[in-house]
Amino acid sequence: MSRRAVEIAGRRLSLSNLEKDLYPSYGFTKAHVLDYYRRISKFILPHLKNRALTLKRYPDGVEKDFFFEKRCPSHHPSWVKTEEILRDDEERMTVCLVNDLGTLMWVENLASLELHVPPARAGSPETPDSMVFDLDPGDQANILNCARVALILRDLLAELRLASYVKTSGKKGLHVYIPLNLKETTFEDTKKFSKAVAIIMQKNYPELVTAKMAKEYRKTKVFINWSQNDSSKTMICVYSLRAREKPVVSFPLEWKELENFAGRNDTENLQVLHSEAVSRAEKQGDLFRDVLTKKQKLPHL
Amino acid sequence: MAEQAIWSGTISFSLVAIPVRLVKAVEPGRVSFRMLHSKDYSPLARRMFCPEEDIMVPPDEIIRGYEIAPDKYILVTDDELESLSPERSRTIEIVEFTDMKEVDPVYYDHPYYLVPSKGGEKAYRLLVEAMRRTNKVGLAKFVLGEREYLVAVKSSEGALALITLHYSKEILPDDDFSPKEGKVEAGDKSRMKRDIKKMMGDFNPEKYADSRRKKIMNLLKKKAKEKAPVQAPVAEEAEGEGPADLIAALQESMHKIKRNR
Repeated sequence: MSRRAVEIAGRRLSLSNLEKDLYPSYGFTKAHVLDYYRRISKFILPHLKNRALTLKRYPDGVEKDFFFEKRCPSHHPSWVKTEEILRDDEERMTVCLVNDLGTLMWVENLASLELHVPPARAGSPETPDSMVFDLDPGDQANILNCARVALILRDLLAELRLASYVKTSGKKGLHVYIPLNLKETTFEDTKKFSKAVAIIMQKNYPELVTAKMAKEYRKTKVFINWSQNDSSKTMICVYSLRAREKPVVSFPLEWKELENFAGRNDTENLQVLHSEAVSRAEKQGDLFRDVLTKKQKLPHL
Repeated sequence: MAEQAIWSGTISFSLVAIPVRLVKAVEPGRVSFRMLHSKDYSPLARRMFCPEEDIMVPPDEIIRGYEIAPDKYILVTDDELESLSPERSRTIEIVEFTDMKEVDPVYYDHPYYLVPSKGGEKAYRLLVEAMRRTNKVGLAKFVLGEREYLVAVKSSEGALALITLHYSKEILPDDDFSPKEGKVEAGDKSRMKRDIKKMMGDFNPEKYADSRRKKIMNLLKKKAKEKAPVQAPVAEEAEGEGPADLIAALQESMHKIKRNR
């Protein structure tokens, strides 16, 4: 195994196997992965900050086995910020908070290609700071169907004076976020609200939408998964890589861009690759910035 | 796999300073389980419950109290606790050397290794060798995490081991344990000595595997092969639409946007 000692933002790190190809059919090594996260760090770090990270590690690349790690690996450097979470089996679980570049590089050195975080901060795990809709197309539906559903969802929420933000999942779907950032909001609120929205959507667009989990309902439809609004659930962090054939990113979009895409009526790929992600973020800034700050109250609860 | 350092700095005494990194020496092998709801396999959540008001308490209403008498508490804030945390150590300064056998194992808390960082290899080897020959341990104060520890540094198989020690206040008195009554007969003594000799062997910890952990892991492997794992429900089925007011507002908005489309 090859190792290289580096110093990042004053932190000493020993990086291993930098030449290992983690996306073999595309050709993207661990050094490339570290470089992507270094270049996107100023955009992704605010969205990881103070959230309990779930690592999804691919030590032998995207074509081989992966494993989830909710606990912060016990051999973490002393400067990695952690939070203790009490679990239901009476055990304390230490989780990593990726609050700086050094920690991000350390986590990527563990080949955690995907970074998953809950819609709540580790210090207040029962207070969601956003409401999320995970739009997941059935196996005969596509991202175009998803875009249509997302646009209806945006309009519906706008009628209730709720601003929403959209990103690609980096897989087949789209994720819609509604910033809340009020400490009185509970997961019971976001669950109740998102479920009602999903049911209304299904009622009005039965050909396009299902609010039911079961695969047989999904097929040609877009499943609006509202159940991600739970303290035990995590979502792929905006700007995180996905472990697919190519290093695609879960990337924020302008609503206008999605409208154009849906209007063209083609199924042209909406995926954003690593290099495009960096250049677009540099140019347009963080389209998801408001998700962290905008205060909104869910009405009619 | 080479372990990531949990601390790095220098170890020093008198005029020697050696750059080192601290790594874990043990990893407890406990198997942990999630608690599930038997009816639908949902993983269960832990909430804080106020028995007085019969409600769940949100995190921003939870504070710390130190119980000084039944139902009497001194309140302490997180900031107050943080202000008491010692400054992180940059060096492990050995203040004293002592004989290895002087340190009663009851003081041993948690073992680590110190590994040499770049440029420190030669001085490190020298220190390991000197400590091995003299059979001495170095004592030092060292801050790890939030706590200041008394630590013993000793040579172990060509490397330096660091063991955090309990403070003497943490050691419970043992003077009552050795019985004072009863005479020991010379014959009994030599018979027992013989028995011990018969059972003598080298210390071979591999012989004593954690058999419960092994049995649990084997059980899990076997069960995983025999039967697919149970699945936690991913979404509640959409029964009950929600608050009538919200449903009405959503439906009305829906009509509006459908008209505009």
